[in-house]
Amino acid sequence: MKPRGVASTGMPPRHVSAYVRWSLWALLIALVAALLVTLVWLAGRYEASQVQSKLERDTADALGDIRSALTRNVQSLQALQAGHPTRATWTDEAAQLLREHREWIRLEWRDAALGTLAFADTPFRAAPFARLGRANAQTDVSLACANARRVSGPAYSSSYFLPQLDGLGLEVMELCLPQVTGGQLTGYVVATYALSEILADLVGPQLMRSQDVSFTEADGTRLALHGTARRGSRVFTSQQLLDLPGNTMVLRMDSWRGAPDLFPNVLTALVTAMSIALVVVLVLLGKDMRRRLRAEQDLADALAFRKAMEDSLVTGLRARDLQGRITYVNPAFCEMVGFSPEELLGNTTPAPYWPPELAVQYQKRQEIRLAGQQVPPREGYESVFMRKDGSRFPVLIIEAPLINHHGVQTGWMSAFLDISEQRRVEEISRASQERLQATARLATVGEMASLLSHELNQPLAAISSYATGTINLLKSQPALQAASGPDGTGAPLPGAFTDIEGAMRRIAEQAERAGKVIKSVHDFVRRRDKEREPVHPQELLDAIMPLVSLQARKLGMQVETRVKQGLPAVLCDRTMVEQVLLNLARNAMQAMDQAHVADPSVVIEVRRAGSAAPAGAGKGWLEFSVADKGPGIPEAIQRKLFTPFFTTKDEGMGLGLSMCRTVVEQHGGFLGFESNRPQGTIFRFTLPVDPASDKPA
Amino acid sequence: MQPSLNATVFIVDDDASVRDALAWLLRSRHLLSETYATGEEFEAMLQAGYAPAQPVCLLLDVRMPGMSGLALFDKIAERGLVDVVPVIFLTGHADVPTAVDMVKRGAFDFCEKPFSDNALVDRVEQALRRSGELLAARREKKLVQGRLAELTERERDVMRLVVEGLPNKLIADQLDISVRTVEVHRARVFDKMDVKSAVELANVLRGL
Repeated sequence: MKPRGVASTGMPPRHVSAYVRWSLWALLIALVAALLVTLVWLAGRYEASQVQSKLERDTADALGDIRSALTRNVQSLQALQAGHPTRATWTDEAAQLLREHREWIRLEWRDAALGTLAFADTPFRAAPFARLGRANAQTDVSLACANARRVSGPAYSSSYFLPQLDGLGLEVMELCLPQVTGGQLTGYVVATYALSEILADLVGPQLMRSQDVSFTEADGTRLALHGTARRGSRVFTSQQLLDLPGNTMVLRMDSWRGAPDLFPNVLTALVTAMSIALVVVLVLLGKDMRRRLRAEQDLADALAFRKAMEDSLVTGLRARDLQGRITYVNPAFCEMVGFSPEELLGNTTPAPYWPPELAVQYQKRQEIRLAGQQVPPREGYESVFMRKDGSRFPVLIIEAPLINHHGVQTGWMSAFLDISEQRRVEEISRASQERLQATARLATVGEMASLLSHELNQPLAAISSYATGTINLLKSQPALQAASGPDGTGAPLPGAFTDIEGAMRRIAEQAERAGKVIKSVHDFVRRRDKEREPVHPQELLDAIMPLVSLQARKLGMQVETRVKQGLPAVLCDRTMVEQVLLNLARNAMQAMDQAHVADPSVVIEVRRAGSAAPAGAGKGWLEFSVADKGPGIPEAIQRKLFTPFFTTKDEGMGLGLSMCRTVVEQHGGFLGFESNRPQGTIFRFTLPVDPASDKPA
Repeated sequence: MQPSLNATVFIVDDDASVRDALAWLLRSRHLLSETYATGEEFEAMLQAGYAPAQPVCLLLDVRMPGMSGLALFDKIAERGLVDVVPVIFLTGHADVPTAVDMVKRGAFDFCEKPFSDNALVDRVEQALRRSGELLAARREKKLVQGRLAELTERERDVMRLVVEGLPNKLIADQLDISVRTVEVHRARVFDKMDVKSAVELANVLRGL
């Protein structure tokens, strides 16, 4: 990521906040790091000061040791002179003392004029003054002794270098102790100290561990050194003055430590460990923060998704609290009723979208609902709402209790579906269904009338024929002609014959009258007979398919229509042919339904008829076929199939197929059936092609 | 208008009472009838090689189970008998348009049930007369053809020229025979053809 300036105002707020967040984090980390460094540094310093003060103490201790030892030595020397020793005894005792005190390299007994009376050299070294010669040290001795005489006590000379025979040398200093007997100076005892031996013997060995002890002059020139080998490189130094009568030296102590150790001691280690812990905690906090951020992001996304979902829903949503106030509406609901959310929220009854004439009823319904006495139906209920412009529309309401996460009901949630479109489609579908059914009824009545007229006309024709025949016979019988002759014997007879003839005539007349009544009824029903119009086969199928599909869906069947491209229109009575198709399709479906055929399907096909078309040469014919996969038609039934009032259905009148045949024959077509392979039945019928539309074919 | 006694009216109707009543009616007018219950029965008779010798007429019900009246009419038409067997359809009201169609296709007439009975019988008689005339014409034609078959080649040539109206002299010239021979042939043709004049001969031949 590229670094960005804080002040870049064009940056989206989210980036700014991210930048601020990251810089805060950086600052925090920097501060913590600085704190840790400081702590470690301070801890180091504290430790150093500890070491330093210890060193100071050690130096003071060492100084004390040296002082007290020097004082004791003075006393030892005084004791040497006590009891007026002879030279021989003094030398013995001095040798004895030298054996005990390694720091001395020579003891001398000198007279008041500093002449040597006796002396003894340390047994630990071979003739210390052999190289230099004792005389060379005379100045120092006399200075010290002069000093001693003046203070009447021990006095020291300044140190000097005493070269040795082996090429090395010793830094030594003289101690002069005046001998006073009865207020009279009698002589001196001079002791020569080796400075290095003072450090080695007089300083406690515990102080010497891991540190060097040395004597230096005030300007830092090292005089004598005693110590262990150097370890590490870090040096702590402590210096203290050793103030002796006649001489002042600096006692210096150097302590060596393992310097580059990062965690030199427990405190620092502790601080460091705590720092690490702190960093770890920081990292964990950071991670936690990141997780929280992610969770926050997810939550924001989820919220945005829910909002988008609610906004894009077609279903209207509305929440009400237990008092019936509207607490939430989604945009779809607002759009549905035409009110803005502000106009709806917080509203109680009557809601602005209730039609005023139904408000009382709705009020009651809502009271019942809020009282919780009645559980709303799961499948919803229908109601009528009013838009802002006052128009009414039907809705489907699905209501459910709104239960919060504590399991307490806080109100009611309702979903609304605008079902006006659905209603409209249903209305259209119902209208078309009703039209077809009405036509079906009419067709049935027509068929009935036709059948009745046929069936009644037969006996009427017979009656009329018998009557006419009888009249003819009466007129032509010679015997009767004779009987009605002028002679008077058979007078009553001619009258009887005339009566019979009249009655017969009336019988014939009445039969004819009955025939006319039937004809008028029939004509009334069959007024439409002559209506022929060119109709495309597809239009015929389109008209019946909604109803056929409806039934097919109910019965779980497939309906397939196959209409060849480029077929001409047929000249027919549209509604009646629709009835024929509908009847055949229904028969097919019912046949399969009764027989419980597996995978039932109906195929309705239209194609050009072959040469098998009945007479009517020159005319084209279309063949319509309806094929099912039913059990087929038994032979016994086949013969009676078209007989009026013959039916295999419980609720059938037995007019359907009869009507179909009448209709088809009225069009000059032919209706027949054959077996379908591998099973089922195919009904076929033909209709004449409209010559005008057949031209291009 | 007394129809010939051996004229036959065929009645094809599935309804027995209608058949019986029609037969009764026709008998009252001195007409013989034969009844058939189905189209198939009538067709069987046709298939048996029926050829009408006497005037006949067919009263045919349009609507019948099995073979319909229309189908039977088609069969009759296929056999070329529509002329000599005039068909009168008996129809209900519903079938009137169909029946009109049939008349256009050669049926003699149709009659709506219930019919004015004597009017029907009148039409039957007309049909029988038509049938009779046609049959007579056919018979005549057959007779003439038989006589023609008896003529010799030369007689036929002479007859052709006679009918064209040529005098004997020209006929003799054309046929390159003597006038006398022409006269002999001519007399023999008149004799064989049973005519008395050239005009009569031309009329007979025109009937063919």
